[in-house]
Amino acid sequence: MEIFVQQMFNGLTIGSVYALVALGLTLVYGILHIPNFAHGALYMMGGYITLTMMTNFGLHYWLAILVSILAVGLIGVLMERLVFHPLRHAPPIHDKIAAIGILLFLEAFAQYVWGADYQTMPSPYDQVVHLFGLTFTMQRLLIIVFAIAVMILLYVFLKKTFIGATIIAMSQDREGANLVGINTNRTAMLTFLISGGLASIACSLAAPINLVFPGMGQLVILKAFVIIILGGMGSIPGAILGGYILGFSESLGATYISNDYKDIIAFVLLVIILSVKPTGLFAKGGH
Amino acid sequence: MQKLRSLVGLSIIFVFMFSLVACNSSKSSSSASKPSKTEADGASTVNIGYSGPLSGPAAFYGKRTLNGTEMAAEEINKAGGFEVNGKKYKLNVVALDDKYLPNETGANAKRLLQENKTPIIFTPHSGGVAALQVFNQTENKFIIGAYTSEPKITENGNKLTVRIPPRYDGYIEPFTKYEMDHFGKKIAFLPTSSQYGKDWSEKLQPYWEKQGGKVVYNSSIDFAKDTDFFTIVTNALKKKPDVLFIGGASEPTAKVAKQARELGFKGGFIVMDQAKLDEMKKVTGSYDVLNGAIGVMPLVHSESPGIPEFIKNYKAKYNEDPGSEAGLNYIATYVFVEAMKAAGSVDDPEKIRAHMQDGLDKLPEDKKVYVIPKIDDHGGFEGELIIAAVEDGKIVPIKVK
Repeated sequence: MEIFVQQMFNGLTIGSVYALVALGLTLVYGILHIPNFAHGALYMMGGYITLTMMTNFGLHYWLAILVSILAVGLIGVLMERLVFHPLRHAPPIHDKIAAIGILLFLEAFAQYVWGADYQTMPSPYDQVVHLFGLTFTMQRLLIIVFAIAVMILLYVFLKKTFIGATIIAMSQDREGANLVGINTNRTAMLTFLISGGLASIACSLAAPINLVFPGMGQLVILKAFVIIILGGMGSIPGAILGGYILGFSESLGATYISNDYKDIIAFVLLVIILSVKPTGLFAKGGH
Repeated sequence: MQKLRSLVGLSIIFVFMFSLVACNSSKSSSSASKPSKTEADGASTVNIGYSGPLSGPAAFYGKRTLNGTEMAAEEINKAGGFEVNGKKYKLNVVALDDKYLPNETGANAKRLLQENKTPIIFTPHSGGVAALQVFNQTENKFIIGAYTSEPKITENGNKLTVRIPPRYDGYIEPFTKYEMDHFGKKIAFLPTSSQYGKDWSEKLQPYWEKQGGKVVYNSSIDFAKDTDFFTIVTNALKKKPDVLFIGGASEPTAKVAKQARELGFKGGFIVMDQAKLDEMKKVTGSYDVLNGAIGVMPLVHSESPGIPEFIKNYKAKYNEDPGSEAGLNYIATYVFVEAMKAAGSVDDPEKIRAHMQDGLDKLPEDKKVYVIPKIDDHGGFEGELIIAAVEDGKIVPIKVK
């Protein structure tokens, strides 16, 4: 029983990280219908910027995260302005190629600037908490709490504020949104800003339990794509639910089925869900 | 207007980039310049090839192995080069990136042979070595400077392979004995899921069981895919092991050890030779977390004659502590040069290989970062195994009988 609860906790931790990454990916997809392969690189940049702020500028962990959110959000906006916006009339394949190009560029850039070594992000929340035979670390609790808080905030923002509503409107119908006077350019930039910010939060939270290195985005990006396909491309509740499904299937699958096959479990789940609901759990009509 | 805007955008991205570059404290090394065949002072150039991972997830490892060779070459050139048959030569290291892929190693080697006529090609992974062994004894012969502790690569009868590090199976007996004496007979396997990790497991398991031990959990961790190790470590600890077998690149291996401690593990660790205790300490913060770990003696704690000078120079040049990757490739480069002198040839790989023992004998005392008295018939350096354990937060050397 203890093991079960411990593994639920482990699944919740990793699922929270997955969900945050998938959210950013699904937002961009919902609005621009671009599978942003470079999202993993944004995640990685978030980790490096937080780390640099902490080690080179001596900022506190939270302040460093804040700077990193803004910086990565800005990279996201620049990506939209310089790459995706000029390509908006091009065939869809060009977006995909461009996204892969950005991914390679950012990874090489990170290796050039910060080197290829593994780096450790120190966290002020390194304490270990033992409770009822279970082990929590503060950082892990923080990941869960903070991730859920961010998700709630995002949901409120999208549903209850006017600017948030423009994002929803645009994801439902771009032309329609344009007709009722929504500035689609500004909304697209805003979406990239939020998407980059989410990636940066996810990485800054997860980095202290792992390491920071140029290829770290690849750890999560493939899984994030599985999640948004599973949850329905462009769906926000789908990304959150999908993130946790994947997190739990990994931790519980590794415990009760086999560690060596835990990745297969996630993909089998994907196959089953797609056979029953080919458009994903929370599909939106159309695209 | 459109043009102006994109111009502004571009300039912003550049400003951003340069500000980030400015933040960066570590300097990336400049690429090696390509000298002409004969330099002003009348010395000819011998090209030494290198093919290893210089980009991608293993780039840090490739870089460290290359650093050792480059540093040795630079020192030799600064001292005026070396003389073979009355003719002066300087070294030029030509490094190519193979992204850790054996097929790329093969392609790189062909290129090195055609463009640079390299008599020796270093490669730091067993897959790459295997790819080179396919054609290194055919028309364009060359010596493989193999930085891998895999015994198979020298035992397959390839006559032009030199294995630089000690073979890993020598570690199994002392490691097992130490951990069994200090902690107990139940072990859980959590090494990296690379081929090398699997080979290690396959050697360790029968020996551990022969000594009356039991493997209670046997799995591996894919450091390129797993974001978090808590799940698998929880599962391993559920079986109440006394000892954990861990390994892979130092930093993620250290994370595994740290997370095991967080989950309440009190036993010892067998650390695969790929991971280095001093590099692991950088991640864990102190050696206390690693108490009871046994592994390869970190170069910085070693007492070989060439160590102090080497550490000082390496730190000055690369701004980090050297590991055995750098140390062994450094010494190997010197040995190859001494072997060329003894052989009286800089371009006949067979002659150079035949004089490797002379090269080892003539190696200057102050370059002996490791003491390697002998090369065996198959081409493996027979250095002494120096291993160490962590006890009470300190590195303690362990004698191998």
